[in-house]
Amino acid sequence: MSEWEPKIAAFLCNWCSYGAADLAGVSRLQYPPNIRVIRIPCTGRMSPKFILSAFRNGADGVWVSG
Amino acid sequence: MITFKLNGKEVQGEEGQYILQVAEKYGVEIPTMCHHKALEPAGMCRLCTVEMFDGRRSRFVTACNYPIWEGMQIFTDTEEVHKGRKLIVEMLLARCPEVPMLQDLAKKYGIEKSRFKAEDDDCILCGLCVRMCQRMGNNAIELTGRGIEMVVDTPFHVQTDFCVACGACASVCPTGHITLEKINQNVTSRKNVRKIPSEYDMGLKGRKPIFVPYAQAVPNTPAIDRDTCMHFKTGGCKVCTEFCGVNAIKHDMEDEILELDVGSIILATGFEPFDPSKFDNYGYAKHPNVVTAMEFERILSASGPTMGHLVRSSDHKEPKKIAWFQCVGSRDINRCDNAHCSSVCCMYAIKESIIAKEHSGDDLDCAVFYMDIRTHGKDFERYYERAKTQGVRFVRSRVHTINPVPETDDLEVRYVLDSGELVKETFDMIVLSIGLQTPPELIQLANDLNIDLTTGNFCKTDTFSPVQTSREGIFVCGAFQGPKDIPQSVVDSSAAASAAGEMLSPARNTLTKIKEVVPEVNVIGERPRIGVFVCNCGINIGGVVNVPGVRDYAKTLPYVEYVTDNMYTCSQDTQEVMKDIITKNRLNRIVVAACSPKTHEPLFRETLADTGLNKYLFEMTNIRNQNSWVHKNNPDIATQKAKDLVRMAVTKVALKEPLPEAELSIGQTAMVIGGGITGMSTALSFARQGYETHLIENTDRLGGNALTLYKTWKGENIQEKLKGLIDQVSREENLKIHLNTTLASVEGFVGNFKSTLASQGKEDVIEYGVAVIATGASEFKPVEYMYGKDPRIVTSQELDRKLIGNDPVLNSLNTAVFIQCVGSREPERPYCSRVCCTHSVDSALELKRRNPGMNVYILNRDIRTYGERETLYKEAREAGIIFIRFTRENKPVVAIEDGVVKVKVTDHILGMPLEIETDLVNLASAVIPPRDEKLAQFFKVPLNDDGFFVERHAKLGPSEFATDGVFLAGLAHYPKPIDESIAQGMAAASRAVTLLAQKTIHTNGEIAKVNPALCSSCGVCISICPYKAPSFIPDDARFFPGKAEINPALCKGCGLCVASCRSGAIGLKGFDNDQIFAMIEAI
Repeated sequence: MSEWEPKIAAFLCNWCSYGAADLAGVSRLQYPPNIRVIRIPCTGRMSPKFILSAFRNGADGVWVSG
Repeated sequence: MITFKLNGKEVQGEEGQYILQVAEKYGVEIPTMCHHKALEPAGMCRLCTVEMFDGRRSRFVTACNYPIWEGMQIFTDTEEVHKGRKLIVEMLLARCPEVPMLQDLAKKYGIEKSRFKAEDDDCILCGLCVRMCQRMGNNAIELTGRGIEMVVDTPFHVQTDFCVACGACASVCPTGHITLEKINQNVTSRKNVRKIPSEYDMGLKGRKPIFVPYAQAVPNTPAIDRDTCMHFKTGGCKVCTEFCGVNAIKHDMEDEILELDVGSIILATGFEPFDPSKFDNYGYAKHPNVVTAMEFERILSASGPTMGHLVRSSDHKEPKKIAWFQCVGSRDINRCDNAHCSSVCCMYAIKESIIAKEHSGDDLDCAVFYMDIRTHGKDFERYYERAKTQGVRFVRSRVHTINPVPETDDLEVRYVLDSGELVKETFDMIVLSIGLQTPPELIQLANDLNIDLTTGNFCKTDTFSPVQTSREGIFVCGAFQGPKDIPQSVVDSSAAASAAGEMLSPARNTLTKIKEVVPEVNVIGERPRIGVFVCNCGINIGGVVNVPGVRDYAKTLPYVEYVTDNMYTCSQDTQEVMKDIITKNRLNRIVVAACSPKTHEPLFRETLADTGLNKYLFEMTNIRNQNSWVHKNNPDIATQKAKDLVRMAVTKVALKEPLPEAELSIGQTAMVIGGGITGMSTALSFARQGYETHLIENTDRLGGNALTLYKTWKGENIQEKLKGLIDQVSREENLKIHLNTTLASVEGFVGNFKSTLASQGKEDVIEYGVAVIATGASEFKPVEYMYGKDPRIVTSQELDRKLIGNDPVLNSLNTAVFIQCVGSREPERPYCSRVCCTHSVDSALELKRRNPGMNVYILNRDIRTYGERETLYKEAREAGIIFIRFTRENKPVVAIEDGVVKVKVTDHILGMPLEIETDLVNLASAVIPPRDEKLAQFFKVPLNDDGFFVERHAKLGPSEFATDGVFLAGLAHYPKPIDESIAQGMAAASRAVTLLAQKTIHTNGEIAKVNPALCSSCGVCISICPYKAPSFIPDDARFFPGKAEINPALCKGCGLCVASCRSGAIGLKGFDNDQIFAMIEAI
């Protein structure tokens, strides 16, 4: 099990968290490569269906940030 | 071209190239320790030995310095070669057993322990340092001695001036034999050479001679510092040119002098932070733990020298106690010549203390030593109160000296409290809140331009033309005009643009070029033909991610017709190449895997549009900021992640549709609501820039609050100036004044507003493109201090009325008392009214001028004469005006006893109650907004808790609303004096003109759209939309009456309605359900 790495679907708001993720890059902060970012225009766009769909498609975690 | 065989494969190289260079080009790895791309090869380490077959026999040659020739055959991977290399490693390891690089190599070649006798050297005599030193043009070191005595040394073992301690030798040493520390010991201690201080990190960190000034710099291109670059010292080096893949470095570029014909000049030259090194009493130059506020900003910053970890410089210990000293280099004519208040330091010190606590936890003890806390900006007073509740200590005391505590790195201070008590306290760190001042070169510039400066060396301006310098056509904004914070600087800059625009409006658009629009190609119904462009971003992406691998992977994805990788996808020439590729391959969907869409999406969309492709048929995926930069040590995983991201983007883009953008015309008329000084300035600015303007005033005359104001703090007569302004407004042709008029309705949206104006029973409809709210505020009618009980107790505006009318009462006064913060900085009104301190000090001086013998008292909580207004405060003290401080808990009491007005207050120095019999009490009453909810509703703009309108952005958008086409200025935004009101009025006009000048704008294509067949008319979208974009289709409409529709001009594309539509009737173009689901499925 020690080899197992989770896959996390990250829904990031274009205006804040996505920008923050860009800034983390600019600052060269290092973090684990397990997230796959899906940019959304606002967390207001977020639908519970997206979360369910992510789990159904094999995501081990879902992160919504905005 | 020379053709030869490399490991049996035919390869080509150029005449004069060495085997190693060609092998590198073809991706064949040959190990080497002494090779450097920028230096002539020397064949020192022998590790690159390969086998060469010349047609007759085989022999071993060193790949780094053996030139290629036609027909040769090279083998890099034979058993013989490996055996030879293993032996070399073994010998080197024996010489330098402790060098990590050799230990790694030994492991690779399966050597556990060298068979040869171990020595304890750490130099492998690769000669890189010597060759590099030569290349630098210095020739300070040499390989001296022969055979086994050979060492790297200076000739005759003597230190000479040839060594300039540039550190180039250390930078190439593979083993750690030469280090910067050793250079420092041997050379720099005598030469006083130090690291190149990073300007951005305030010298807390070093930087290279080639550097990007800071991560967010625009343009984000490195620059060469000619003062430190070795090439400019010796003519040597130029190593950088060998590494720059695009040959962008030109050392022979010279400064150019450009001559520009301009109609006006705007000075936005800023300030310099005060340098406290000359204050020996604070020991800033001596104690590393005494830092300036600018240095502390960097220490707090995540991109700063300590990566945002709050530690002190001397021992990297986390501080437990930090003190801030206010007014260092401000309000000080004793130790420096800065009489002014720098306006921003109180607020930034409070901010730093709160952020420091956020970094280090609540037990960090923060103490701010101050004279007056000046939090006069919008929402600043609340922030100050918040700091107090979070435990930041505010100590009213000016500390004289900082003493280091012997044997420690701590700092001891002694200070006196109001009560006279002497306190000794030790801090781990002390932050000097340094002030703002005009640098000498700017004073020189002002002289050269022949513009006047104030006594404090700021640019001299008039209250009624706040951005106009003393020379026509030259304008000023920002801290050169006077010390000020970001919002005020932003206001100023827009105002200066407006002032220049007024002058130059006849020439508007005469130098603009119109871009040709390529007709759009219809791709609807076509099978997707996707092009994927993967960016190397130099080595930013390519250095971590296997870009060719990602590119080849993209080729395997469905509908992908074309893939390529670019060195810099965003470069101008790549755009041309992309256009060609799109057209030639008839691509109809594009994916760019590069940096962030937030910065580069508009560029690529434009490239698409230039080929006739709808710009929304594009998807960008971020494999730099969110991948290569953050997973540097995991190239394999980062490559896999890049592939995943490309797959997700490709899947989404296949589902993208061309989106239309509605074109909106911008009505070329402006409406300004409010006929005070602000509104008039705004309207005048519009009219002078050639726009028809309506100025709406609900009373019967123009002027607003200014009608009852006497003089500005600079001594200008307000009534005279006001009359002049009203004259100008009345004479302006493009400007229509509507007195006794109120707004009865507002319809429409940016560029297309329509309002009914109600004026004395009549109604008038006007159409306009932009609106400015300048509805002002008014003086609070006090409810305390016996106001209204006696004619001798008046408000500031009432006193001004007496001064304007030369009321004879004023000539016979013996005593006057001013009471500050009446209705301001109270729990029910927790903001500072900004104008009252200066107003009272100014009125007090006026009374003193009229009756030099009279006693004048100003009872205050803090005196907030910010900027150069501080000189007025000084003048008042010199004139004998007495300032007595009180607290909110212990306010003065006004009583009328036997017809005598008495003010009782506790003197803050004596600690004793005082009773002042007075002829006049002036209550410096708050500025209160009308809380015009109706107007707010009309334009869908927000009000804050205090009743002021809320701007788009507190710092960067102070004169506009988040609602497009609606702007804001004057007291409706926040209390402010006349000069700032006028500047903001001009700023609002400036921001609005940026819209008006476009004549048409395009709405965003990525917006919500209702499928009326599915809509159940529930109205959730209408109630939930923050922008009022959805509405019901009228009942009498021919199609879908009663269903929801969305106004594309108002929709911001947030998708809130989409997620909340219970019928699933709303989709969000560009982020539709199927597109997001497709991305999720592709994860």
